[in-house]
Amino acid sequence: MSEVLPYSGLTGMADAVLSEVAALAKLACDTGETASINLTAMPLTRQDREAIETRLGRGEVEATVDAGGRCDVWETAYAGVWFVRYRGLDDRVATEAIEICPSPLILMSHPDDRRVAATRLGEDLRAAASAAA
Amino acid sequence: MTLLDFARGPALEASLFIFVAGVIWRCVGTLLLPWRLVRVEPRKGASSPWVAALKGVLVKLWPYDTFAKSGVVQFVNGYIFHAGFAVVFLLFAPHILFIKGVTGLSWPSLPNNVIMMIGVVTAASLVVALVFRVTSPVLRLISRVDDYISWFLTFLPVATGLMAAAHLGLRYETLLSLHILSFCALLVWFPFGKLMHAFLFAFSRAVTGVRMGQRGAAI
Amino acid sequence: MATPLLNPPAPGRTLGESLQQRGVSRRALLKYAAYLGGLMAMPASTTQAFAEGLASARRQSVIWLSFQECTGCTESVTRPFSPTFESMIFDLISLDYHETLQTASGEAAEEARLKAMADNKGKYIVVVEGAIPAKDGGIYSTIAGQTNLDMLRDTVKDALAVVAVGTCASFGGIPKANPNPTGAGPASDFVTAKPVIAIPGCPPIAEAMAGTIAYMISFGKLPELDQRGRPKAFYGETIHDRCYRRPFYERGQFADSFDDEGARRGYCLYKVGCKGPVTYNSCATLKWNGGVSFPIQSGHGCLGCSEPDFWDQGGFYRPLSASLHNLGLPLAAAGVAGVALGAGAAWTARRHLASRGQDVATPEGKKP
Repeated sequence: MSEVLPYSGLTGMADAVLSEVAALAKLACDTGETASINLTAMPLTRQDREAIETRLGRGEVEATVDAGGRCDVWETAYAGVWFVRYRGLDDRVATEAIEICPSPLILMSHPDDRRVAATRLGEDLRAAASAAA
Repeated sequence: MTLLDFARGPALEASLFIFVAGVIWRCVGTLLLPWRLVRVEPRKGASSPWVAALKGVLVKLWPYDTFAKSGVVQFVNGYIFHAGFAVVFLLFAPHILFIKGVTGLSWPSLPNNVIMMIGVVTAASLVVALVFRVTSPVLRLISRVDDYISWFLTFLPVATGLMAAAHLGLRYETLLSLHILSFCALLVWFPFGKLMHAFLFAFSRAVTGVRMGQRGAAI
Repeated sequence: MATPLLNPPAPGRTLGESLQQRGVSRRALLKYAAYLGGLMAMPASTTQAFAEGLASARRQSVIWLSFQECTGCTESVTRPFSPTFESMIFDLISLDYHETLQTASGEAAEEARLKAMADNKGKYIVVVEGAIPAKDGGIYSTIAGQTNLDMLRDTVKDALAVVAVGTCASFGGIPKANPNPTGAGPASDFVTAKPVIAIPGCPPIAEAMAGTIAYMISFGKLPELDQRGRPKAFYGETIHDRCYRRPFYERGQFADSFDDEGARRGYCLYKVGCKGPVTYNSCATLKWNGGVSFPIQSGHGCLGCSEPDFWDQGGFYRPLSASLHNLGLPLAAAGVAGVALGAGAAWTARRHLASRGQDVATPEGKKP
């Protein structure tokens, strides 16, 4: 039995969330403090979620991250406001969040990964060179 | 056994037993009391005893003109409490389920927010009643411990019910247990104090009606 | 993502390093931390710390003891069977002993357990699944000739902490239900010297177990627990307070019986015995099998399966506000008692009046 909600349509939560985004975006510019709003745990209807996504729109950057399952990241039409959607089993949405930051952490390469990768790149190049020789 | 299990189980069973046995004891005991012998004939044109009894009960439902002005606020407050208590007790869905469990009867309920509002009004009217009792010199003079205990044990279920519904103060299951236990306390006290007026008021008013009726006095 | 039992980690490696060896980047850990952190209502600012904590931790040794249980808790926790980040918990822990899942058996299995205990002395987590029978020295459940009681006491001696998974281990569950012939009790009855965390539920939600273990690995401490030892992050709210059918409850729209009009419309299930108001769990928010559904959504009231003694609450279909006991007979007896007392009282009163010489009459006021 699919969830038959006793309420549907826009509940006003979309406006509340977007107001919070606006306030946090301003704060981030003034103080440099980044923030994240987890949308999964909120009591949002389908229409609320669609409204939030539609009103924030899409910007210049779109990325797909393949780390332990798919992850969709895009910058909204408002610079510094990013949408992050983590997918799990069967591509169902596991967590989604609005991140107010220069760039979401998930897009950045971790120092430990970079160190290992740099070493590996050197080794791979050396191996290719000795194979050619 | 958690507090809730105790409240819903042995506490409810024991207190309901005491309530039913006690109320029936007092009502049967009253009904089986002998009537006093009256050595005079009833006045000509006096209504039958049964009609007079009914009149006795109904007439007291509103204060006499003489006392109307001074007593009407207190009287109306009393009605507000009784009506509110009845609505909350009888028309709240979980309460109806409790009654259904005991008697098998059930009926439609009111929405929760309506019950909540009426519950708040009921609690307020109880507080007003206590204020009357404490500030009026007459009421203070004639009040006994019984009156205050009866007030307290009536107020407690209303207050704890509102607190449980509002999740106020303690964990919900604790508030629910306290609500049920306060109802048990009310049930246990009921047959032994002023709360028995709920049943006995009809008998005493009826007797007054009959006595006055025999004399042909309008009441 | 390889399963932990087939790819034992090299000793001394951090989780970050061993995951990297298998090509799992720190992004996956970050995603996992964000997912679990979101479930546990941790502030978003802690996600990075959570991920860093996991990366720098050592693989956590876990010894999973199975006692009077149905293995449902294991089933629930291992449900994400295809390799996705939900099954990542098995990369974070080293499941050194689990009777159902491990490949070793017999003496070899018991030796593996003892070796894991010795190798990780003071640092391993003991997971207990199932209740422990205590009657008659605990002989009603034995493994390899050893009673569950003895095995539990031996294993927790050098443990870091004990996690009681499922309602049987947390509160006694079905083995403890009336009349409890084996004297079954929860792990906390028999473990007093180590912290015991309860992850109840029949079975518990997989994420409750994964989130709690991951938190302990990352932050090196127990999450905040309620007075029954359950993590508040997963057991802090009742089903009722997060149920999507709550507005129906408030409006007074109920299903009166299964499959009636109200039930088909998805109305509140309070009248058919839902125990949501007094049950603490995350079923209404996290749901089961990765958010597919939960009992109420599927049309059945909450059983209260993460609460103690939920089997002995008078029946799953008895409403929460109804009395636990059947009152027909006691109240009939009360009626009889009342009549007897009343008659007795009236008789005493009549005798008293007669002895004082007062005349009695019929109700019409005439001499009888």
